[in-house]
Amino acid sequence: MVGWYTLTLVDYAIAGTAIIVSMVVLNKVLRWLGVNREAATGYALILPWLLGFLIWNLGPFIASFYFSLTEYGPLRSPRFIGLDNYVRMFRDDPNFWPVIRFTFLYSLFNVPLGLLGALFTATLLNQNVRGLGFWRTVYYLPAVLPAAATALLWRWLFARSGLINFILRPIYNLLDIEAPSWFTEPRLILPGYIIMGMWGVFGANTIILLAGLKNIPRDLYEAAILDGAGRVKRYLTITLPMLSPSLFYVLIMGIIGSFQAFTVAFFVDHSRRVGTFINVYIYEQAFGRLNGMGYAAALGWVALVIILLFTLLVFKSSPAWVYYEGERAG
Amino acid sequence: MQWGHDPKLAQLLDEVQRLKLSRRSVLRRAAALGVTGSALATALAAAPAPARAQSKTRIRLATWAGADEANELQGVIDKVNQEATNFEIVSEPTPADYYVKLQTTIAGGTAADLFWLSQEYIAGYADQGALLDITDRLEGDSRPAANLSDYFEPILRTAQYQERTYGLPWISQPVLLYYNPDLFAAAGIPEPDDTWDWQRFQEVAAQLTDPSKGIYGTAFNGWPPVQMFIWQAGGEVITQDLSSCPVDSPEAIQAAEFYASIIFNEEYAPSEATLQEQGFGEMAKAGKVAMFFGGAADDLDYAHKKDPANARMKVALVPKGPQSRTTFAWTASTVIYAGTENADAAYDALVALTEGIHHWKVVAPRQSLANEETITASVPDKQESAPTIIKAMPDMRSFNIIPRHQEWDEIFWNEFQDPLYHGEGTAQELAQSVRPKLEELLP
Repeated sequence: MVGWYTLTLVDYAIAGTAIIVSMVVLNKVLRWLGVNREAATGYALILPWLLGFLIWNLGPFIASFYFSLTEYGPLRSPRFIGLDNYVRMFRDDPNFWPVIRFTFLYSLFNVPLGLLGALFTATLLNQNVRGLGFWRTVYYLPAVLPAAATALLWRWLFARSGLINFILRPIYNLLDIEAPSWFTEPRLILPGYIIMGMWGVFGANTIILLAGLKNIPRDLYEAAILDGAGRVKRYLTITLPMLSPSLFYVLIMGIIGSFQAFTVAFFVDHSRRVGTFINVYIYEQAFGRLNGMGYAAALGWVALVIILLFTLLVFKSSPAWVYYEGERAG
Repeated sequence: MQWGHDPKLAQLLDEVQRLKLSRRSVLRRAAALGVTGSALATALAAAPAPARAQSKTRIRLATWAGADEANELQGVIDKVNQEATNFEIVSEPTPADYYVKLQTTIAGGTAADLFWLSQEYIAGYADQGALLDITDRLEGDSRPAANLSDYFEPILRTAQYQERTYGLPWISQPVLLYYNPDLFAAAGIPEPDDTWDWQRFQEVAAQLTDPSKGIYGTAFNGWPPVQMFIWQAGGEVITQDLSSCPVDSPEAIQAAEFYASIIFNEEYAPSEATLQEQGFGEMAKAGKVAMFFGGAADDLDYAHKKDPANARMKVALVPKGPQSRTTFAWTASTVIYAGTENADAAYDALVALTEGIHHWKVVAPRQSLANEETITASVPDKQESAPTIIKAMPDMRSFNIIPRHQEWDEIFWNEFQDPLYHGEGTAQELAQSVRPKLEELLP
């Protein structure tokens, strides 16, 4: 009796063989069309990636736009309804605007706080202190921990009898208030997520900024010191401008990441009365009902446009504050 | 079955039959048992069973069963498979994100032949053509589990849509009042009985509450569903003919206001935050809640036998409402995937499996099995609670289900119940505002 795993392995083998055959055929066709050997080999070698991109990225990307114009569920074929999903979203869905507001406010606080936190941490790690390698490893640990486990950890920390409330107890006593429950009291849900979002700053962002700091030529600082510039002056006039390309990158990724927040909110269930993150809402619409895929696709496209607008805004502003050494030299 | 006089050979042939061992595995086991090749060849040639086992159609069953439940279910399936001649059920439990995975497999055309559906999903799946209509097959079937007239009518209705039947319910568990007799005794209060109404319930809950010890008289968090209180007051949220949502009727308003007044009421119930942190059922098991509403199948009344750290609990009927003692019953059915390639075998498997589950789960949704003996035989630990469970069954009912029930439920919670329980509007205001939106989703 042939098992499922065997059949799956056979499927993989067939797919792999088909891809290899396609690569060979593409190479032959390009050569026959007069493309030089190096280019033909190059195109043949990137064919697997190209196929993957077309089938798994571009195809679904285009299809999702069509689905956003349909009433569609996993159990039934899509039915074209024009712009109804978009009209419903902006006019009739009572959850849409709270979701946008929640996601926007989270990003508004999370992105700058995350950027400043990562910059501060990277600056500390750039000092000549003992055991620097150890500290760098420690600060990078959050980036390698599973997001779901981290979310559960935060849920315990934010429990009424958790560590956060334990630390803040003197303040509660001073103000004569009870320890709050962060994810049931509507006014505390957003701050709770913003604090959790800070966790991300100790990961990849810190390492990127640290690499940027290490790349700043030492002679710039030496020249500044000779000219009598103090530490603050050196930081503001050398460190920040030279680091601005890295800051620009971290900012862009931070905006995209905060608008796409999902995992933490998926595991830390909170009252929906204040809204939730747009990605969580998209998931709920797509899989929480039988015909919500079309509406979820429309929400996805609106989320894309919002992220694109903010990203473009930052790109447009970049000539005013991002300094590229190469451009000046050129 | 006897396989000659050699016990080792008999053991080996039994394994061949049961486990369908490969040729290499058979030879390896034969060597291990010291059976000679010639004896094995002779015995295999004479054995008809393996050939019959191979002719069985493989029927996949998708369930949400967790590890323990899946093990128990496997025991039921093993018995069913042993008796079946034309099918073999293979269990595929998916304890997490069950419906997401189920929908995805249906969309991909790879769904299991049989799968479990909770009551609120069946009409929607049937409406979208994902389920096999088994009405005609049931009419010509004389097996007890296929006899629809034996099922409790309100429970069976959840497996039907537009007068056609799409599945067989395998459980019907009415809500019961689980109470902690030790807390009652300590407070000197008589235990609940059939005369209780909600006013008496509230009075006793307040008397049993002791904030200094972290003990509450009761606990609610949206469970049991507000529908139960509305039904008890004589109202409805969806009429039986699925034509309207009278959530703003005087009966519904009265019941909703009452529920809003007891949920999270700090006079006798834990706050929302406390429930979220300490766990709803866990608080009852820990002896911190004197009266708790649970389904008849819950283990609250025998959890202390599994772990002495759990509180001792007994069961009573749900208190009476203004009009009746109607209690909500959670139910679920096994259905057949419309795209199955083995409809006949899947149907046979469905009926046989349902019969098996009816002797495993409490309470079987059939009148002929709604008795103390069957309950005790299914779950011996339920013996003490069985009489009360049986007494609750005539009053049980389920939701009236519409195809877009998930959307309906979401609106009913987000725009009626949730704001009502958090003091963001009166029942009258919220009901009048939400009714048109709910009715827009009716078929």
